[in-house]
Amino acid sequence: MASNLPTQRAAIQQRLSDVREFFDELLSNRKVMITFTVMPVLILFLLINIFPIVWAITASFFQVPPYGGTWEWIGIDQYIDLFALEAFRQSVWRSVVFASGSLLIQVTFGLGLALLVTQDFKFKRLIRAIAFLPYLVPMAVFGFIAIWMTNTRFGIINRILIDLGIVDSGIAFFSTEALVMPAIIIVSSWKFSIFVTIMAVARLQSIPDSHYEAAEMCGAGAWRKFRDVTLPNLRGVLFIVVLLRFVWMFNKFDIIWVLSHGGPNDVALTAPLFAYETAFQQLNIGGASAVATMLFGLLVVTAFLYFRVLEPSKGVRVE
Amino acid sequence: MSNQTESPMMDSKHISYRQRRQLKRLVHYGLLSMAMVVILFPILWTFTTSIRPTQDVQTRDVTLLPTQFTLDHYEALLLNTEFVTWLVNSIVVAAGVCALTVVFATLGGYGLARLDLKFKQTFARGVLLGYMFPSILLGIPMYIMWRDLQLLNSRLGLVLAETALALPFSLWLMWNFFQSVPYSLEESAQMAGATRFRAFVDVALPMARPGMIAVVVFAFATSWNEYTLAQILMTDQSNYVITIGLDTLINDQLIPWGEMMAATFITLLPAFLLVYFLQKYLIRGFQVSG
Repeated sequence: MASNLPTQRAAIQQRLSDVREFFDELLSNRKVMITFTVMPVLILFLLINIFPIVWAITASFFQVPPYGGTWEWIGIDQYIDLFALEAFRQSVWRSVVFASGSLLIQVTFGLGLALLVTQDFKFKRLIRAIAFLPYLVPMAVFGFIAIWMTNTRFGIINRILIDLGIVDSGIAFFSTEALVMPAIIIVSSWKFSIFVTIMAVARLQSIPDSHYEAAEMCGAGAWRKFRDVTLPNLRGVLFIVVLLRFVWMFNKFDIIWVLSHGGPNDVALTAPLFAYETAFQQLNIGGASAVATMLFGLLVVTAFLYFRVLEPSKGVRVE
Repeated sequence: MSNQTESPMMDSKHISYRQRRQLKRLVHYGLLSMAMVVILFPILWTFTTSIRPTQDVQTRDVTLLPTQFTLDHYEALLLNTEFVTWLVNSIVVAAGVCALTVVFATLGGYGLARLDLKFKQTFARGVLLGYMFPSILLGIPMYIMWRDLQLLNSRLGLVLAETALALPFSLWLMWNFFQSVPYSLEESAQMAGATRFRAFVDVALPMARPGMIAVVVFAFATSWNEYTLAQILMTDQSNYVITIGLDTLINDQLIPWGEMMAATFITLLPAFLLVYFLQKYLIRGFQVSG
């Protein structure tokens, strides 16, 4: 019996490797490969992305009881109501103002910072880590920091402003009608400029040194090198950044909500906040879905036009 | 500096090459320091607030540097509030989102890059639409759907919801990444007798590791930052994550700013460690996506 053990073990090993080979073969089959690579992501995508969207678009044509029950078809009534509603139109306009304003700051500051941190200097790794840090600081958390720093009684910003003699007493930035929107734009730019920075740094790093050397040989100064080498290389990235950041800022909910809940007299109530209030305070699910669907449609059309008119993909692959 | 006389260009409007370089460096450091102040000041202010005694925090005569040092706020935060629960929830959810995203994005990215599929173009456009989804638009239907599926207030529910935000970008990333890995390497493995699946596991997957790390960083950032969906889907205080948990600290009549800033500072730490050690991958991920 004992002498059989090695042969038995060999047989088992043979069997195991057969099984493994069988599975390898099976998994290498094209259909099986599709099933275990593309299908899972497709199903998950359908479940958590596509399905909620379709749900919302459908709900926008119904009166949806907030606590469950049968939906009542009302067609495009909700859309008509919304168009007639001054508050809705204003909220969309505010979103445009917020997105454009913060985009301007983000691209300027973000790009400037990217150019600064791609050069060589001491402690580059540490400085870069600091420069990139805001991107990973939760916006809501930074909102609380901003609220604390601008506290009218104990905030450091107000303290400095008073000490410098610029103001007499603390300013309530987030509850003053004229200041709330600019203040939110500046606070949110602190974080989101860094998205521009990281994108730009990634691109800048991939520009071969030889391009700059060639430009230098041709007698180009710093400005010409920037204009003729750096800028053309950044073109594609800038297009994408501008599109994505505009869309994301347009849809931004958290920072505005945390800082001002829409501001005094709703002066900072952008469209996403309008949708939120419609859904969770007025419990009008159908109406909120109509708002969301319109925003979605608006952004899809914007993106479509953007890609059509500017064809950024042409710029993406410069080399 | 010593051989100024040697340079005939020195006298009037011209400056020497060396001086120009020094000037340039001076401007560079100057601008960089200004940017650092803008970025670091709020964070340092958070930290110094968190270690000041309360009478030092809530004073009109606030000083830039704390005069006294205390850990009371950290102690109060950890012992008297549900902060630890929220922190654990945040970490568990972020880990879940990272795991789910990296597995699905890697498999999907490989399949889309390597397999000949009919609906690829449609799929690419569909994923792009994922960029256009306002969280709020996802949040409303998710609230109703998750309620019916008993997923409200569950960490699994939040993981699924936040994966919806991280997945489109991550899938693009891995898709692009596998395209940048030469297929000939897998082919030569297959030529040497490996099956297609083996070639994927032994050749393509190790080469895709930097992309996968970039996805993990991105998924972590998405989840760690997320507020909107968490606010809609987690309605019970003991299920909160940090970002919405902080809200409840502020809802009291008297806002405990020391504790708030202690909580905030703890939240910033993992983010800093991540960018310090993984900045290469962060940039790499963004490089491919651009």
